[in-house]
Amino acid sequence: MRLPRLNGQVSPLLPIALAPMGLVTVFILVIVWVSFQTGTLGTAHSTYTLENYRDVLGDSEIYGVVWNTLWFACSTVFFALIIGLPIAWLTERTTIPGKPAIYVIMTLGLLIPGIFVAMGWTFIAHPRIGFINRWLVDLLALDDGPINIATPLGMGFVQGLNLAPLAFILTTQMFRAMNPMLEEAARTAGMSAAATLRRVTLPLAGPAILAAVIYIFIVGIATFDVPAVIGLGNRVYLFSTYLFTLTFPEDMEPRYGITGAVGVLMILVALALTAWYGRVLQKGNRYQVITGKGYRPKMLDLGGWNWAAWAMIGFYAVLSKLVPIALVGFIAFAPYVAPPSLEMWEQLSLNNFYNVNWELVWRGMKHTLILMLVVPVLALVCAFAISWLVVRTRSRGRYALEFGAFLPHTVPELLFAIGALLVALFVLKDYVPLYGTVWLIALVYLVTRLPFATRALNGALLQIHKELEEAAYVSGLTMLRANRRVLLPLLRPTLMSVWIWTALLVYREVTVAVFLATESNITLTAVVWSYWAAAGMTEASVVTTLMILFFSPLLLLFWIFGRRSALAEQ
Amino acid sequence: MISIRKLEKIFDSARGPVRAVGGIDLEVAQGEFMVLLGPSGCGKTTTLRCVAGLERPEGGSIEIDGELVDSAAGGAYVPPERRDIGMVFQSYAVWPHLNVFQNVVLPLTEGQRRIPRSEVRERALEALRLVRLDGLEERPVTDLSGGQQQRVALARAVVTRPKVLLMDEPLSNLDARLRDQMRDELRRIAESVNVTSLYVTHDQAEALSLGDRVCVMNEGEILQLATPKEVYSEPPNLFVARFVGEMNFLPARVVDAGRVESGLGTIKCAVPPGCAPGAAVTLGIRPEHIGIAMGESPAGMRGQVLRQTYLGDALHCQVQVGEVELTVKAVGDAEYGRGDTVAISLPEKNWHVFPET
Ligand SMILES: Nc1ncnc2c1ncn2[C@@H]1O[C@H](COP(=O)(O)OP(=O)(O)OP(=O)(O)O)[C@@H](O)[C@H]1O
Ligand SMILES: [Mg+2]
Repeated sequence: MRLPRLNGQVSPLLPIALAPMGLVTVFILVIVWVSFQTGTLGTAHSTYTLENYRDVLGDSEIYGVVWNTLWFACSTVFFALIIGLPIAWLTERTTIPGKPAIYVIMTLGLLIPGIFVAMGWTFIAHPRIGFINRWLVDLLALDDGPINIATPLGMGFVQGLNLAPLAFILTTQMFRAMNPMLEEAARTAGMSAAATLRRVTLPLAGPAILAAVIYIFIVGIATFDVPAVIGLGNRVYLFSTYLFTLTFPEDMEPRYGITGAVGVLMILVALALTAWYGRVLQKGNRYQVITGKGYRPKMLDLGGWNWAAWAMIGFYAVLSKLVPIALVGFIAFAPYVAPPSLEMWEQLSLNNFYNVNWELVWRGMKHTLILMLVVPVLALVCAFAISWLVVRTRSRGRYALEFGAFLPHTVPELLFAIGALLVALFVLKDYVPLYGTVWLIALVYLVTRLPFATRALNGALLQIHKELEEAAYVSGLTMLRANRRVLLPLLRPTLMSVWIWTALLVYREVTVAVFLATESNITLTAVVWSYWAAAGMTEASVVTTLMILFFSPLLLLFWIFGRRSALAEQ
Repeated sequence: MISIRKLEKIFDSARGPVRAVGGIDLEVAQGEFMVLLGPSGCGKTTTLRCVAGLERPEGGSIEIDGELVDSAAGGAYVPPERRDIGMVFQSYAVWPHLNVFQNVVLPLTEGQRRIPRSEVRERALEALRLVRLDGLEERPVTDLSGGQQQRVALARAVVTRPKVLLMDEPLSNLDARLRDQMRDELRRIAESVNVTSLYVTHDQAEALSLGDRVCVMNEGEILQLATPKEVYSEPPNLFVARFVGEMNFLPARVVDAGRVESGLGTIKCAVPPGCAPGAAVTLGIRPEHIGIAMGESPAGMRGQVLRQTYLGDALHCQVQVGEVELTVKAVGDAEYGRGDTVAISLPEKNWHVFPET
């Protein structure tokens, strides 16, 4: 590594940049390592074998799981895009009023935990307890509820609602960057509007949309919260929930070798998709026509269709957030899970609040708080080191760093959680007692939050002319002082927004927390999950309601400090 | 004060290594104003950045004020912050989060060459007075004009009273009038603080007017190192002749030590030693060295004006002489029109003869 300023010495930033890379590598390798072993792992009683793979591939259940997962991921992609894409187009290419409000709705959509929405939708459309089903059964005198959310399609619908904001953000940039002059050129060349759409607009938008499809698909195949909340109780398994039952079986010893084998299969799928994603992104970048200064895309005037567009957006907000959250809030005060009615209204009470184990909630809150304070700082420090090396040095190693920091963007956090679990259990157990501590969760969060932080800082650093730093050096400032007095002040807005955004995402994270939580390091979301999994729906709703209440001031903070750049970087 | 020996810098690029500086030697004396002049990409900035310590060379060594600050052979490397230098960047690089005063003060309070707190204010104001920015201390630098930002950068560079001042095309972002103004200011400032200056530019007028000596570079090599007058009047090769000032060129063949044969007939001039009779050479003569007069004269050659360009203080005429087209610069308020017949005189002493390479 050749770093001009340091006289052949290695930059002090390098170890900091490499640490999270090391974690990524270890988490993945340990899954592979475990997948080839049987017996008591980490002792002399384990043997190396292919048995796990034979068992997994020989088990007919796995094929059902694969089928369910595909179904689920495809419907997730479908619903996310069918909602997100039109809204993105509306905000970027039309004169629809209230654009800031649309951004608010979509950003909230990213921040409100998917697990809450899934709980809400369980109350709405679960075959037994779902309110719609109950009403329909009463109304039409049926035997069973006609609507079943606990299918891959139904769960895909809920996850599609959750990920629509992601589709929105991934495609707004495309609409923004697409130069309308290209379309106008086609029109002046005599092509009809339809032909222009088919021959110019769609091919140009193609790579960006495909990239969004692949990315959402990757997120989809590894989604844990929605299928766990809705599907587990109904024995509908996806990859993620199947892995969960393998790792935490109720009635027998966990066979981590099998977990590892399923994990490895998932890693392979994720890596293949990542490679494809990278290729598509590259192609998309090539299409990003350089636009001159002062270029303003011409906006389509919707005229009387404005209200229809807003009706659609409003409907989405109600369906995806308002109703589910309101129902969770309602159940928090209800004596048992039942549809809202006048009769129920009179029975609302604070009783559920007395049933909640407050000591547990308090512990969860403490851990969540620690994570929210520690993880953003760690992520920023590592991301700064990586970005600085990537942007400011010419060594060839920077490409490796960039790739390493990008990898957790597409490799599902679920896999890192399993990797971390296995590392803590079988590699570090005797040396570093990480298992059951909040620091284990912090390490995984660090890895998963790194891509966003790195990209945000890359962008910001590229904006800051290298000569500003060099001017500090030739003015006699040491590297440390130059960073403190020049670079950090200039980076402050980005640092703030990444900090807050990361903290908010840590607050809402559930998958990693569920895989790594024990009594001693449980987080708030894991508390919600543990109540839900133990059929304590009312208690889970109480904790959820509290979480949403705590969330509001945080959101306000985000709105003040971080909103703009966070949205721009996503 | 600065001595550069065998300096060599190689960059790794996607298309293999690029030799940005190819082993140059350069000595700059105490108090001297040295200008590095050359076309884009010739390695000027790279040389300057090596002197600043922002770039590590692959070969050679650099001394500042007798101290070895960098040696590719190993041993020495003094990082930029511990070199006694000030630098003005092409982009100015004024710190946008600080105001004018804070920009100038930072090197004094945070740098390696810091001075006692009590003297900081006085010293900063002195630097600002020097660049005529006193009164604007509290302004955010982002509110300043390009020329003012450039002065902040200059004040910041000289405030520590460095022995060496490095400047990388500091005037290139300014408009023409401001550039002329700042050029004089720069000279004045460099002289008043008696600093050794190394100044990079690709503008020959700037180089000739500013430099005590000018170092003409191309493709990482030094082509000429001389006073501005010498550079202008005695370019050693075609490249320098083309790059500095304007010149008419015509192919010719050596007859003997005092004569060459060209499209204008046999011309008397001093042929450099080493050009054997019959060798191909290029003749050059500057437009202002060609005499021009209305009508015909027995002594000179006859030419016809093809077109003219009015420059305000002079008139550039394209004149057809025999088969050759010459650019002639006529000063004063001479008026030559298209098609006029003029007498051209080509003084023997003004011819340059460049051997073909
Ligand atoms: N960081 C770099 N990486 C690779 N090549 C470089 C780098 N910096 C400069 N070069 C190459 O080195 C050569 C000299 O560059 P340099 O910046 O010194 O030119 P210059 O004389 O300052 O030109 P200009 O007048 O355009 O500023 C060029 O060919 C350039 O492409
Ligand atoms: Mg340059």
